[in-house]
Amino acid sequence: MNKESKTMRWLNERYNLSLIEHIAQEKKVPQFRGSFWYYFGGVSLFLFIVQVVTGILLLMYYQPGAQTAYESVRFIVTKVEFGWLIRSIHSWSANLMILSVIIHMFSVYFTKAFRRPRELTWYSGFLLLALCLTFGFSGYLLPWNTLSYFATKVGTEIVAVVPVIGKPIMEILRNGSDVTTATLTRFYGLHVAVLPAIFTVVLGVHLLFIQVQGISEPESWKDLPESKKNHIPFFPNFVLRDVLLWLIVLNVLAILAVYFPWELGHKADPFAPAPMGIRPEWYFLFMFQSLKFFPAKIFSIDGEVLGISLFGVAGLLWFLVPFWDSKTPKGARNRIANYIGIGVVLYIIVLTAIGAR
Amino acid sequence: MNVTDTGKMSRRTFLDYLLGFGVVAWLAAVLYPIIDYFKVPPQTEPAPSSVIAGSVKDFKPNSGKVFRFGNEPAILVDTPNGKLEAFSAVCTHLQCTVQYRPDMQKIWCACHGGVYDLNGRNISGPPPRPLAEYKVAVKGDEIIVSKS
Amino acid sequence: MKKSLLLLVIPALIGFSNAAAAQTQQKKPVDKCFSCHTDIGDDKVADYTSDVHYKAGVTCADCHGGDPTVEDQDAAMDPKKGYIGIPKPSAIPQVCGKCHGAGKTAFKTNFHLNDVMDQFMSSVHGRALNERSDGPTCISCHGIHNIVEVQNSKSPVYPTNVTKTCAKCHSNPDYMKKFSPGLPVDQYEKYLTSVHGERNKAGDPKPATCVSCHSNHLIRPVKDPRSPVYPTNIPQTCAKCHSNKEYMAGYHIPTDQYANYKESVHGIALLQNSDLSAPACNSCHGNHGAVPPGVSSVASVCGTCHQANADLFDKSVHKEAFARAKLPGCVVCHSNHLVRPPNDAMIGFGTDAVCGKCHKDVPADSAAGAILAIRSTLDSLTNGRKDAETLLSHAEQLGMDVSDASYSLRDVNQSLVEARVQVHLFTAGPVKSAAEPGLKIVAEAQKSALAAVNEYYFRRHGLGVATLIITLLAVLLFLKIRQIERKSRQ
Repeated sequence: MNKESKTMRWLNERYNLSLIEHIAQEKKVPQFRGSFWYYFGGVSLFLFIVQVVTGILLLMYYQPGAQTAYESVRFIVTKVEFGWLIRSIHSWSANLMILSVIIHMFSVYFTKAFRRPRELTWYSGFLLLALCLTFGFSGYLLPWNTLSYFATKVGTEIVAVVPVIGKPIMEILRNGSDVTTATLTRFYGLHVAVLPAIFTVVLGVHLLFIQVQGISEPESWKDLPESKKNHIPFFPNFVLRDVLLWLIVLNVLAILAVYFPWELGHKADPFAPAPMGIRPEWYFLFMFQSLKFFPAKIFSIDGEVLGISLFGVAGLLWFLVPFWDSKTPKGARNRIANYIGIGVVLYIIVLTAIGAR
Repeated sequence: MNVTDTGKMSRRTFLDYLLGFGVVAWLAAVLYPIIDYFKVPPQTEPAPSSVIAGSVKDFKPNSGKVFRFGNEPAILVDTPNGKLEAFSAVCTHLQCTVQYRPDMQKIWCACHGGVYDLNGRNISGPPPRPLAEYKVAVKGDEIIVSKS
Repeated sequence: MKKSLLLLVIPALIGFSNAAAAQTQQKKPVDKCFSCHTDIGDDKVADYTSDVHYKAGVTCADCHGGDPTVEDQDAAMDPKKGYIGIPKPSAIPQVCGKCHGAGKTAFKTNFHLNDVMDQFMSSVHGRALNERSDGPTCISCHGIHNIVEVQNSKSPVYPTNVTKTCAKCHSNPDYMKKFSPGLPVDQYEKYLTSVHGERNKAGDPKPATCVSCHSNHLIRPVKDPRSPVYPTNIPQTCAKCHSNKEYMAGYHIPTDQYANYKESVHGIALLQNSDLSAPACNSCHGNHGAVPPGVSSVASVCGTCHQANADLFDKSVHKEAFARAKLPGCVVCHSNHLVRPPNDAMIGFGTDAVCGKCHKDVPADSAAGAILAIRSTLDSLTNGRKDAETLLSHAEQLGMDVSDASYSLRDVNQSLVEARVQVHLFTAGPVKSAAEPGLKIVAEAQKSALAAVNEYYFRRHGLGVATLIITLLAVLLFLKIRQIERKSRQ
């Protein structure tokens, strides 16, 4: 204790820490039936930190390029001490992170935490999800194995369906007309430099918003007197709970990495025929599966174009939810928005399940 | 230390000590693999299973080029008929590096005069076996050689 | 004109189908061709009276056409009545084929004579005749007006004559190069030096002649897989006689060569795997000059393919020792027709070992040490590889990536092969040094397999330790949280 305070004093002499202290003391987290879902923001943050650490470690050995990408990943997995662990954790953590971010998003949606004054937090969060998906898509190609090669080929091809601008965008994505080493270089640059930079900034803004506005209280508390509201201090109570959960998540990651090591597959061979059953990563599966169900032509419009346009519109509406679900009578729940949310969750689960078969 | 109940205090400090110990142990568990990760691996270069041997423009019939394929030399031959063939450039006799001899139109090893034909078959001299053959594919301008 | 005068005309249309029946019949109407040509002293007619066809009732007009019933020369030899005179060479097969062609029924009891014309036309000789008018025809081998049964020792195709008959053309380079410039012309000469040829020359009709192997009318190119002398057919062709106990009785040689060969590494390669580079009978015995390789030449015969082994053998102590003892080189250990794939068990003093034939596992035999050393070197390499493979597959089953080590094991084979070749020097040193790189790879592979297995358990144990630490920390944290919250509630 003495030591701690000594350090604090030393720091306080040089930097005025009273503000931070103040924030740490003042910040509190509502405690209610649904507060469990509040932890997923923190879990996402933790997984992002894991991604940064393991990602930097992988950078120590990874070499992009047609002749080295696969070989260097293989080298990491087989030759480098604990390389198998780092790589497996990076892959597992990436997937769990996206899962956690999605859960976080739906929990915010259903608790209406996006409403005034937190619209900007929602927008930045949505942007973070989009960045996560881009991270996943670009990172998937980096081991340059058969599955990732063809998944990238198919994934970028879908972009080309969009009229007029689709094809140029696809070519920019691919850095050429086909998925080649040039694509790999481009995705590599995106994955390790561009996306982390943007993500860190957006994440900082996202956290700043939360810090400034405090943690959203549930709808049901609107009419409650202050005394009936049950809070716990953010520090140390909530933080320690967070850390406890992070520890558990870390252990889960380690177990997954040891017992279900992420497979490397075979090296991509651009001349080989596409293997059976190419499908994207699970978080794109519901869109992929939906597009399959679209008829080839609907009223002389290409089915795929229509499908992608619909997903675009749906995504935009989802993004703009603070606009159309903003005004509700005091205390009343907007049931329609909840039903839409439940519908979306069910739709994603069912189509992902069908696609995963 | 203004705690009146000494039992309580000792329990608390005990927990704190344990917690400190746990954190240290945890840090060790996390840092150990990370530090180990930086150890120099046994083989410093990943061995590729395919390599770009060069550009089509750089080759003319009846010529050959030795290039690096992983940790071994390989030879790409543009035969007098203009066909591209690639082999391991390691002589099957005593592991010297072979070369293309335009005058003989054969692959030749300088060490003991072993001769291979343009299909990699050992046709004279001491080599006991043919040269390992690689797959050649041309994509655009690049000649890609791979171990099939 | 003068020649045509010599021919008389007889009713031409005696049914050919009756020709066989006519063998015993009396000449019914007078054959004017025959009578006139007899009168003018034509020696061809005289020849013909001894011809097998004459005895069968085949008339002049049957071959030459025309009308044998009229006296008048012009009328009898009128082309309008089908007279062809001396058949052009290219037409000869058709003339003979009138009776000896496919679908003909002239020979009710001797069917194979029916379709010889068609066989001939699809043979190399038929093709040659198609290409050049001076190519071989029926008469090239069988003669013209004095054809006798094949069994008749006067026939040019009788076993003791047929080789000379073939040699008429096949030993004539000027003639042969018009058709097949690449074909050797020394077959007959070689044949005379062969055991077959020597006996044949001495008048024995049983040893093989040209037709025994090449067949007669339907001779196909050697490269034709249907040819009896195509590599994969040769063993069976030789076996026709050499596996026939009755036929070979009196020659005092074994008849089990084919049965043995079929089971041998060579026979399996050639007959079952159609590996044309595998040796057939002729690869060791020669073909036209077929003789059993003598004791002194066995090693060089085998050495044509097994060069490295033969070279080493020549440098070894056995070369001279075997020669002194009149032992046939390679065959001493590997046998001749029944060459089995060699294995390491052949070395040593066990039941399958061949060394024990001459050597004894006693201190007095100075070779015993080397024999055992060679064997143990090879065994340690093969067993080491087996152990490494077992370990690697165990590691693989545990999900570890050991493909590098598995890949490296492929080079063990080369080392093993080289070591096995070195056995033919019959000293331990070279075998050992050839096996050395293999042993090193095996040791490396075993090491990395063990490392992989250890790594597997290390990962699980490591995870266990990490889980323990994390669980401990989590429990402590939980206690701490409870403590803090209890305190704040106070």
